Amino acid sequence: MESISSEVRLKVAQCFRTLSSSSADHTDVFDALETLNSYLDDGAESSSCTAAEREEFRRTHYSRTLRVLVGQLQADWTHSLSAAQRSQLWDPLFLKGPPDQALLVLLEAVTQPSAGLDRLVSVTERFLQGGRLADLLWSFCLGSVPSDSAQLRETLLARLAALPDLTANRLHPNNRPLFTPQRFYPLLASEMLAALERTSVLMSSTDGVDCSLTFVAQTLGKVCLQGHSGPVLAVMAPRLAVCTRSDMVWQRVSWKLLQDVPERCMESVLTGLLQAADSPDAFSRIAGNLVLTNKKAEFVLTHKVLLLQYKYEVRLLLEPPVVNVSERCGVLPAVCSVCLQVLRSVSQAWANPSAVKHTPQEQQLYVSKALLLAASLLTDAELQELRSDLLQCLLGGMQSHLDSSAVGIRTLGLVVGECLSARMDLSGTKLKFEVRRLVRSLLSFQSILRFKCNNLVSGGSSDDDLPPYDMSGDVEASRAAPPRYLRDCLEGTARFSSFCSVLSISVQMTKVLLHMEDRFSVSGFLVLRQAAMVALTAVDSVPVTQYLTTEFYSLNYSLRQRLDILEVLALAAQELSKPAADKVTAAASGLTPYQSNSAAGWRQEVEKRIQNKTKRISKGSGQPRAGAAPNRYAPVAGYFFFPLLRNYDKPEVTFDLLGSDHLVLGRLIHTLGLFMHLAVNAPIAAQMGAALLDFVWAVRYHADPTVRRGVLFAVCSVFLSMPSQALMMDLSQQLLETRTWLADVAEADPDADCRNLAVQSLVLLDQNLKKQLQNPNGLSLEP
Amino acid sequence: MVLICVWPAPDWSMSRPTPCPVYTLRGAGAPLNTLHFSCSRGDTPLLFSGSAKGAVHVWNLNSRRAERVLEGHGGNSVIWVSTLQTGDTLISQGRDMRVCLWDLTEGRSEALDSVWTGSVGFCQCSVLEMSPSSYLLAFAGLQTEETKIIEMPSKNPVCTLTPDTKLGMVMCLQLWKPDSGLGPLLFAGYEDGSLLLWDVTQRSELSRVKAHPEPVMCLTFDPGRLRGVSGSCEKQLSSWMLDDQNHIQLQDYVTLVNPGVSQLRIRGDGRLLASAGWDHRVRVFGWKKLRPLAVLQYHTDMVLSVAFSDHQDPRQRLLAAGSKDQRVSLWSIYNQSANTC
Repeated sequence: MESISSEVRLKVAQCFRTLSSSSADHTDVFDALETLNSYLDDGAESSSCTAAEREEFRRTHYSRTLRVLVGQLQADWTHSLSAAQRSQLWDPLFLKGPPDQALLVLLEAVTQPSAGLDRLVSVTERFLQGGRLADLLWSFCLGSVPSDSAQLRETLLARLAALPDLTANRLHPNNRPLFTPQRFYPLLASEMLAALERTSVLMSSTDGVDCSLTFVAQTLGKVCLQGHSGPVLAVMAPRLAVCTRSDMVWQRVSWKLLQDVPERCMESVLTGLLQAADSPDAFSRIAGNLVLTNKKAEFVLTHKVLLLQYKYEVRLLLEPPVVNVSERCGVLPAVCSVCLQVLRSVSQAWANPSAVKHTPQEQQLYVSKALLLAASLLTDAELQELRSDLLQCLLGGMQSHLDSSAVGIRTLGLVVGECLSARMDLSGTKLKFEVRRLVRSLLSFQSILRFKCNNLVSGGSSDDDLPPYDMSGDVEASRAAPPRYLRDCLEGTARFSSFCSVLSISVQMTKVLLHMEDRFSVSGFLVLRQAAMVALTAVDSVPVTQYLTTEFYSLNYSLRQRLDILEVLALAAQELSKPAADKVTAAASGLTPYQSNSAAGWRQEVEKRIQNKTKRISKGSGQPRAGAAPNRYAPVAGYFFFPLLRNYDKPEVTFDLLGSDHLVLGRLIHTLGLFMHLAVNAPIAAQMGAALLDFVWAVRYHADPTVRRGVLFAVCSVFLSMPSQALMMDLSQQLLETRTWLADVAEADPDADCRNLAVQSLVLLDQNLKKQLQNPNGLSLEP
Repeated sequence: MVLICVWPAPDWSMSRPTPCPVYTLRGAGAPLNTLHFSCSRGDTPLLFSGSAKGAVHVWNLNSRRAERVLEGHGGNSVIWVSTLQTGDTLISQGRDMRVCLWDLTEGRSEALDSVWTGSVGFCQCSVLEMSPSSYLLAFAGLQTEETKIIEMPSKNPVCTLTPDTKLGMVMCLQLWKPDSGLGPLLFAGYEDGSLLLWDVTQRSELSRVKAHPEPVMCLTFDPGRLRGVSGSCEKQLSSWMLDDQNHIQLQDYVTLVNPGVSQLRIRGDGRLLASAGWDHRVRVFGWKKLRPLAVLQYHTDMVLSVAFSDHQDPRQRLLAAGSKDQRVSLWSIYNQSANTC
């Protein structure tokens, strides 16, 4: 052993001497180079030295040899080498020896100022092109690196990862394309893949071979940490995803690789992988159960990218652990616990009121997606375990989301609440909001995932390449008949064509309309319904008003329906009190232009000519005078008015007019006032006024301003519409009291409208009084 | 609305909203009982439809208009149309108990011949081409359970098949010829839910199975996989298989959301199955595993028929559905080859 090493040392030293002595004759130099080369030739033809000698040379003298060569770059013999000689004698020394030492020497030389830079750069280029990087990585995998030390590794890693920077700094514009990051890092990635490939081949062919992926993992980590994870993983992730699909050895290689990534680089590797992996399965296959074995990875995957950032695809993050759960839940309960932990922390993050307030909407969407996804992926049993946590999250989270002022966040709360409650199956109760249309995407997102998850569990099917469409719309057809429209109803009645038939069904129709709800989302439903009811009331007043006024006080109506009744009655009364003739003339005048072609046209023409030729001294009113028409309201005003006064003081269980339902009371009094107002000049106005005054007297000090407003409006309309004689007769007893009350209200009522109305009432009262006093017969009527 | 704005466009390859029809054909003016594509020959892809008012519309799928309207059944509902591979012959069956043959060559549209069937039911005929010049036509006969098979165009009767027990009316038929070299076979579905396999040359019953508790409304059979599926007026599709001894073996049931199927069709490449539902929807299943893939909602009344087109370019393939609401909807679905996902 000793003899070999000393012999080699002697020989090498002699070569060095030859190289450094600048003799004119270069044959010595060539011989020396050949000798050195012979130590690197693995082939059998070089019998000049033994394997042991070669080993010795590689271990001890190689690095120094290269340094000497670099140092002699300016020597004469170096310049005199022909291209062929260079590629036969000089370059192989760099390309055949241990790649780690070669790379170190080359990069060291490139970075230091030296002559012959060109030569060095082209050798480096050949080094990279020749796949020496894979050899380098592979030698570390096998542990066959002669002089492996932590320091050497560190230096090598730093140089390797920073090669583009080093060369760029030194070469500036003369940099080779291969050294640019765009080309170097993909190259490095494929070299790493090549090393991994060799590892997997070795592992599958023989047993018991130690193979360390530490250096490759360190390289990967280092490169990713320096921010080049994009180009590197863009090459590596797809290949790894494909290889790990069926090959167990590759899976082990891939998992080991990620496990060996140094802790400080773990995050950058994982985030890079998340962005490069194209599907959750791929990510899961590549990473294996890294989440369980590596604390840092667990933190990054289950906390950092999930709760603090929001740029990744949620699916990638959540599915791997959950899929793992479904695959080997029995084997590894720890995975379950990780997964449940994830769901728990996500749900807490979702429900956190401070987060709802202060984090951006995108982040909340991200967390919501994660929550829905996690909930849809877990099995029922696991969900049961988390039930109380989830319920708490649901309640608190809904609260804080609904309190938010942003519409998007409120909707988000509704959707997540709905989905979660549906998933948790809270003993049959589900939250249900009408937000489906808005967030179809979110819901379909969940259903698809559920489907996918089921599919994974069941092992897939051969129709797999036919991705299903969203089938959430496929629900059981309702047994109810499709909606019929009142239009059809009218058509039906028109077919039996008589006005009487409309009258005979008016009450039934009113009944139907009154109870109708907007179940089919007819646009403008409320307006249409009201118009229909008003029309019915106007056409067939007596029975319909009788029906409506009775129903107003009966049991089992909602406030809304009672208010509807009042509104319909008021509108119908207005409709009736309008002179009907107006409409007819308007319609007729509207039609005239279209009749110009008809037979009567000539008469108009003649008329017009006569008008043109005729001279008039003065023109009377051109418009025809409004024709007199009977007031259709006056005869039926009593039907509208009196039944409503009948039952107000009989409280029902569901309807207490003088108690809590003061909104309806105010409305009722206002409507009565309106009836009164419309009944001006009707014979029945006197009785109506008296009854109304009686009625409102009891509630004139009601606590609710709307009621008081109604009362004052009613009083005003009584003063306006009641014949003053009848008014004075009726009020004579309480004239003073009324005045005082009105004056009081006008002065002291807290509600401005009430004060105005009271003042108006006072004015009206005074006018009435004055009129009455001016009328000489007025007082004589007084008893 | 705010939410929609904020939401990033979902880019899952899995997430696909419910599809919409590519286009619809209206103007038939009556419920459409039957559809038949003819797209592989000639330069104009055609769709034939038979309406409840007795008209056969020939739709040009390029112009999307009815090219011709053939009226040959005296206003009686047309329940089946088909074309022959060879020559421009159209066959239509009406409820006037007649099957009409039409010559459509060079724009002609004249009735060549007609066959009197005597069937008052709704059973659609089935046609099987034996050679370029002759084909078999199976149809329900005058008697309740009778199926007749004749050779066309000579109209020579081949056989009359009558089951030995009471099974009720014949509801649906499908003739096919196995690769094994046996004579043509016939599947027939009956009113009591039975499914029979007949050997046409031997005139014997090969197998019988009770596929449904209710009448068999429709059936379709895939000779390539020796598998078939039948539908009824209940919620289940029943799939079955033919074993080596030509026995029908019931396989699994597919449960639908709503009951009632008018027609079932398998796409030419044996990958998709479509059903025309009484619930106004067309359902699409993967044919291998009967996995539900899509629910096509467009029609407002019962869907009466579905058909897959026979385009030579798989990307142009269409699915057509004809409905009682007097419209035909055309869908382009799963037309990319297997590498889509």
